[in-house]
Formats: sequence, C-alpha cells, structure tokens
Amino acid sequence: MKIFVIGAGQVGTTIVAALHDDHDVTVIDLDPARLEPLAHRYDVSTLEGNGASRSVLAEAGVASADLLIACTSRDEANIVSAMISKAVSPRTTTIVRTTNPEYLEVWREGQLDVDFIVSSELETAHAISRAIGVPAARQTDVFADGQVHLVEFDVQEDSSPTLLGVPVRGAPIPRESKIAAIIRDDAVILPGGDEVIRSGDRIVVIGSPTAAQDWGELIAPGSGKVTDVVIFGAGRAGTAIARLLLEQGIGVRMIEADRERARIVSEALPRARVFNSTGIEPDFLERERIGDAQVAIFAMRDDMKNHYAATLARVHGVGFTIAIVHDPPAIEVFEHAGIDVTVNPRAVTAEEIVRFAHDPRTQQVSMLENDRFEVLDITTRPGSEYVGKSFRDMPIRGALIGAIVRDGTAIFPRGDDILRAGDRAIIFTESKRVPEVERAL
Amino acid sequence: MSPDKSRSRRVGRSRSLAVDLRGTAHLVGALTKYLSLAMLVPIAVAIGYRETPVPFLVTAVIVGGGGWLLEWSTRGASTLRAREGFLIVSLVWVVAAAVAALPYLLSGEAQLDRPIDAYFEGMAGFTTTGGTVLTDVESLSHSLLIWRQLTQWLGGLGIIVLALAVFPRLRVGGRQLFESELPGPEIESHNTRIRDTARRLWILYVALTAVLIAILWLLGATGADSRMSGFDAVAHALTTIPTGGFSTNARSVEEYAAATQWAIVVFMILGGANFALLYAAFVRRHGRRFLRDEEFRLYLGLLTLGALILGFELASEEVAGGETAVRHAVFQAVSIMTTTGYSSTDFAVWPTLAIMTLIGMMFVGGSAGSTSGSVKVVRHVLLGKILRRELDQTVHPEVLSPVRLNRRVVDERTLRAVSSFILLYIGIFVVGAALIAIDAARVGLDLRVLDAVGVSAAMLGNVGPSFGIAGPLGSIEPFSDVSTAIMIALMWLGRLEVIPIVVLLTRHYWRST
Repeated sequence: MKIFVIGAGQVGTTIVAALHDDHDVTVIDLDPARLEPLAHRYDVSTLEGNGASRSVLAEAGVASADLLIACTSRDEANIVSAMISKAVSPRTTTIVRTTNPEYLEVWREGQLDVDFIVSSELETAHAISRAIGVPAARQTDVFADGQVHLVEFDVQEDSSPTLLGVPVRGAPIPRESKIAAIIRDDAVILPGGDEVIRSGDRIVVIGSPTAAQDWGELIAPGSGKVTDVVIFGAGRAGTAIARLLLEQGIGVRMIEADRERARIVSEALPRARVFNSTGIEPDFLERERIGDAQVAIFAMRDDMKNHYAATLARVHGVGFTIAIVHDPPAIEVFEHAGIDVTVNPRAVTAEEIVRFAHDPRTQQVSMLENDRFEVLDITTRPGSEYVGKSFRDMPIRGALIGAIVRDGTAIFPRGDDILRAGDRAIIFTESKRVPEVERAL
Repeated sequence: MSPDKSRSRRVGRSRSLAVDLRGTAHLVGALTKYLSLAMLVPIAVAIGYRETPVPFLVTAVIVGGGGWLLEWSTRGASTLRAREGFLIVSLVWVVAAAVAALPYLLSGEAQLDRPIDAYFEGMAGFTTTGGTVLTDVESLSHSLLIWRQLTQWLGGLGIIVLALAVFPRLRVGGRQLFESELPGPEIESHNTRIRDTARRLWILYVALTAVLIAILWLLGATGADSRMSGFDAVAHALTTIPTGGFSTNARSVEEYAAATQWAIVVFMILGGANFALLYAAFVRRHGRRFLRDEEFRLYLGLLTLGALILGFELASEEVAGGETAVRHAVFQAVSIMTTTGYSSTDFAVWPTLAIMTLIGMMFVGGSAGSTSGSVKVVRHVLLGKILRRELDQTVHPEVLSPVRLNRRVVDERTLRAVSSFILLYIGIFVVGAALIAIDAARVGLDLRVLDAVGVSAAMLGNVGPSFGIAGPLGSIEPFSDVSTAIMIALMWLGRLEVIPIVVLLTRHYWRST
C-alpha cells in the first residue's frame, strides 16, 4: 500500500515505525529536523513542506496514494490535508487525527468528508476506561431525542458467561433492546435466534438508555462496582474521560485549578462534582476524603504536576492511580513512583491509526452507516402494507425495527405489538435495502 | 465671576443628574395619551345601557390632551437607556392608576368621591389586586362597573406590553421597560424581538379572554347558571384571565353556580401559568414543554397541596363537606395562590389553620411570565436551589455547582437578583404590616395583628381581599387615609416587582458616578 503520513511528531513517528516494513511510506512535515531522524532509521521517503498545501501534496504524488494519514498536532491542517487528497483522488482512504471532539461529532453526522477520525482525547478516555476495568461502549448514537440508543460493544472474555457461547434466543438480553448486528472478523451478521455471541465479537445493540446500561453490565460484569473516581484536571482529556465514565453511571469528582475552566466544566457536566482546587493542598484532600476514592486519574497538562499530585494522592490512600503522561521518557518516572497505569495520548492515538491502517475494514458503526448499513428514521405511511400487522408477521429481510416512536414516546416492540400509521420507526438496515424498506413503509 | 469659580461650577454640573427626565416625560406622555382610547369601552357600555357617558368623555379628553401636551412639550432628541426604564415604568403605573380614578371621581359616585379612595380603586384595578373601597359594589352603574373590570384586564399583562403589542411603531426601545413590567426573573435567553413577544402574549391573552366569555355566556344562556348574564360573563372574564379579582357582585363568585366556579378555576390556573409556555402549548402544540417545566410542575403541585390542606381543614372543622368542601378548597387555593382574589365563600371566617395556609399561599404567586402577582413559583424554585447549594458549599467550600432550571444553567446575576428580590419583598411586607397595624391602633380601628399581616400580604401580592374587615365581603373603607396610602404603595411595589421602584430610591440611580 502507498501510504502518506502528514506530520512527523510523536504520533507520526510511531505510525511510521509500525508501517514502514510492509508499506511504501512517504512522510511530509514542515520541520526538516523531524524528518531527518526518520529517514535515517526507516526506509521511507520524506518531503519537507506544508501537508495542507495542494502543490506540496501534488508534488509528493498524493494522487496515487492508497491511504493518507494526517496526524499533525493541528486539527484544521489535518482536515484540509484530507480534503485536498480526497479532491485529488477520491479512492484514497483518509484518516485524520483530531484533538477536538466536536470534529468527531461533525464527522459522525456525515458532514466531514473524511473516512476515519481518531480523537486523541477519546482514545485516551477509552484506554483509561479499559484500565479501570469498565470498557465502555465503543460508540453510542442517539435517536428520537435520546430515547433510543444505538450502542456498539466489544465482547470480551470476561463478559458475562450467561451471554458468551449461548444462542441469542436463550441469552439474557435486557428488556427494551435488540441485537442489531454482530461483527465478527470481516463479516457482519444480522443475528437470528440461533446465532452465538463469542468473545472478540463486536456487537451493535439498539434499545432504550436503561437497556444500554444493562448491556454494559453484561459486557463488563462488575463495572457497576466502581462508583467513585476522582479526575485531576478538567481540560479536554479530563472532560472526555469524565464524560465517558459518567455515561456508564460511574460517579465522578473532578478537580481543576483554573476557576473559569472549572466553571465551564461544571456547567457542561451536570452529573460530575467539580471542585476548584489545585488538588495538592493537604487540607483539601483531607476535607474531601480524596483518599477514599477507588480510582484517581491525573489528566493535567503538565507531567510534573501529574506526577506530584499522583504521588500525593497515593500518600492519602488512593488505591489505584492512572496518569496521563505526555512525554514518553517520563513513563518510567511514573512507574518508579508506583503509579499503577500510565497512558500516553499520542501512543494510543497512533495505535488506533495503525490498527485501522492494517485493516481498513475495521468495523465501526459510523463507518457501517456510511457504507454498508444505515440507521433509518421513517414515519409510517397510512397506506403501508405493514400497518396493522404485528411485528412477528413482518417479512422484512436484512432490516431490524429497533424501536418505534409513537406520540413522542419510544416503544421497543415485541412480536405481538402492532405497527400503526404515523409511527416513527428506527430501523437498522443494509444500505442496499434502504429503498426497499422505504417503499414498504 | 472669576475663572476659577466658573470652572468649579462646571465640575459641579458634571456630577448632576444622569437620568434623562425630559425623554422620560415624553414617553410617559405618549403612553398616557393612548390610555384615553380605553374609554371607548365604557362609553359604548354607557350608551348601550342609557347611562351618561360624560365622565368617560371628559376623562378621555383630559388624559388624551394631557398626555399629548406632555409629549409635545418634551419633544426633541432623547437618550433613553436602560436606566430611564425603571423611572418610566414606575411613573406610567402611577399615572395609569390616576387615569383609572378619574371616571370614578367625575361620575359623582358617592362611594368613590374622595380622591384617595378613587385612586385606591384605580391602583387596585390596574395592578390586578382586586381590593376595594366599595361597600356596595352593586349600586355602581354598568359603565363604571365595566370600566373597573377593564382596568384589571388592561393591567394584567402590563400597560407597556400592551402598548408595544398594539402600537408597534411606538418608540419604546429597550428590553428594560418590557422586563420590569413582565412578572418574574429574567431567565429565558432573549433572542426574539420584544415587539413580537408582546404581540404574541396579547393575542393569547385576548383569545383566552374570548374563550372564557363564551364559556360563561353559554353557562348563562343554557340555564346552567341562572345568575350569569351576558354582562356578567364579560365582566368576570375580564378579571379572571389577568388574575384580577374584581367582581360585579358583592358576594363575588359565590353568586354563581358550581359549574361557573369550576370554569373560573380552570382559567385562573391558566392565567397564573407562564404565557410563553401557554403559547408554545396552544399555538405551537408543544404540550410536552409544559409538563417538563420545573416551575409549572411545582405550580400545580403547590396548588394541589394548598387545596388538600384547605379541604382537610374544612372537613375536619366541619365548615363544609362533600362537593362543597372540595370546591371551596380548590377555588380558594387557586384564587389566592394565583393572586386573583375571587371568593366562592367567605373564607375570612374559616378556621385559623386554613387562614394561615391562605396567607402562606399569598407569598407563592403564579408562574413567571403570567398575569399573577406575588413572588412567583420560579423564584421559590431558584431560592430552594440556592439554599441547597449554600449548604453544600458549607461542607465542601471548593465545589462548584451551577444552579440549573430545566437543565439550563442560570447565571449568577439572576440568582443574586432572585435572592435580593425575596429579601426586599419580605422586608416591605413586614414594614407594610407593621405600619398598617400601628395606624389602625392610632385611629382606634379594631384590627387583629393577623389581619394587618393579611392586608399587607394581600396588597403587596396583588391578591386583594384578605381577612377580618378586609375580607372578601369587606372593604378597606374603614381604614384611615394613611393606611389606604400605604396599601396603594404596596400594590404599586408588588405589581412592578419591587426592584424598579426601590432602585429609584438609591443615590447611584440618579448620579452618573
């Protein structure tokens, strides 16, 4: 594969190191001092220039690229690179690194012409969530004013034994939910009752918000036991972690030294308890019983502050400490101080990009949506042949009615419920069947 | 004059008045001028009932001419800003009460021939209080009666709001004016033009009134309520929607059948609801917003709670039983809490606990953005949240917990305004009660302390009737002129929600420094 990497920082370097053996890699960066060591260590071509410039990209031969990875530290430059490359050569797959969750959102809504977006903050948050032992849903999409959730989970070995290896029909599937699809290796299965869920599968579930939480418990049993997590630092990373943990129903306390930032976060996350403190005053730690927290996460921007605060928290009795470490050599220092887990945002970002580069078909619902599957939100016509029929009798193939919205309220239909005219149906279906489904309803 | 002296004088002048009095007078004049148009209604009624329209014609000439003269004599460039808004709104309401009083005086009606009594009646009208100096309301002419009802209807949503809705070209810039008149704290984000808002509110207001007129008229026409005439239907609709409480009968709504009373209950509840929400529910069909609204839920909750306590009291003290007990409990709870002030029975003779409950409900009021008076439910909601946060921060000094209303963060300035409003409100209520009690003792009027408390709460909350001699069947006629003046001030302060008037008493208001 012909791969272009824009940006030769830590993320770019890690990606090059992982991909240079099997692929034809070209690295573009503004700074020759960064390119030189890369060229010395790996067999890659390098080009000094602005990766967001059309002439530079054209000169580098981006038209013939199979994959373009834009991973500089500047979000907008990355997006522009991907856009130009798409314009020059539509068949090139593009990956963009971003630090701003808003771009991720825009992309998920299909308004950014990029094939894959990796958010450092979100990858970091997922890494931390996994470290705590509560692997979160890979992705949650919401429909009908939040009444219907479409959630994607990675089934693991320690997922509930009542789920693993059992035919779907006999599994304890939470009420008000359905399994829309099972993604196994490269295949996507729309499961019948005999299908068996295995460890390593990625499953797509459609259901009510409560059902989605119940699923979390099935996928990662015991995650409900974590109730008190303290996050130091309410920057983008800290906020992304808090958001993810709160979504799983975990109680989160946040400590932020900057008053204005603390205020913003307290307004954005109603369920988090936000404190305006440096987090290193013994009085404060004592008064708020920070030592009693089950997990403390250090997400401040400064490694040294994280290190000091983490050490202090351990002194106060926090049992499990996780630190975000920005400078890779510092990881050793943290480990030496007894910090249980370190997460390097650039490393996890690079890992995710490499994983994708190795297998561009890595399954993501959002990709499925753009590609092979779609979630439809259709209001049933009075003349539809399905009106008045019970859900059991509907001969729709390759499509699943996950929920219907009747008079503004979501209903999760069972076999004997009946579809009425004017119902809004939330349907998970293969893209090629979209016209068929639309005609039928 | 030495150069030094002239300079010192110039320095002195720069510290002078920072309020544009001329511009203020100009706008007050313009608004007053339009009030003369309101005379058309009683003039028509007078002609229809073969009564003399002269008092109204004279009032129209005086008000129209006076307003025009004031407007004309103060014309020229003006610099009206938010600051002048407080003064304008305060003055407009003083003038409006005087306009309301003129026909009473000119008519030669014996009960209203003293200026202070007529002025009280005017203020009780425009502020939708519903207290009265009349001892025999039924002896008034039809035209005076309808004028009395009409003042409440005009005052319900606000005089300036009305002017904005009907005369959109009126140069009333600035949100300040609009907001000092519209009840409740400023919470909603303001992204619509105030003129559009004003027009929507009035369309809804007129529509609700028309529907109630139709319902009451039908109740009378079908014989369901033999006492309900067409005149009474209009008269009571005009004072129900604005939660006013004036009636054309001495015994208020007690005069009518149970069905009529229940219909009025429903419309009092609507009048005490947030009109922006009503608009969303009726016109935009977003009914769910209503049920999700924290204030509306508490509003209904408190109405229910009040009715339950009253019902329990009435039943256990054997004042009434069965449907009558339920109806009176619900009617009085709704009438007092929405600050309407109608009575379905003489609640002044109810047992003490019931009276205490009613006094408590006088401090609740309806929703923000409604026609009701008093504190408003939303302020209670916010105060509760402020207190809860204070307690939280006593234990956890570093915690930040924004106060949310309907999931949206309420800014700290609004919260401070709510706290200071409630403090001022309670303060003025206490001072008012004390002054009325002292004055009653001075003139030898036999007034219980509880009644003084009731009068102060009922006037400041724009409820109207309270207990004892000022009860629903009574009148404030026995009170001295000093007490009457205090009550006028209380109604005025209550209607404009205290702050626009109190701010006029501060030095910083008038000075630029």
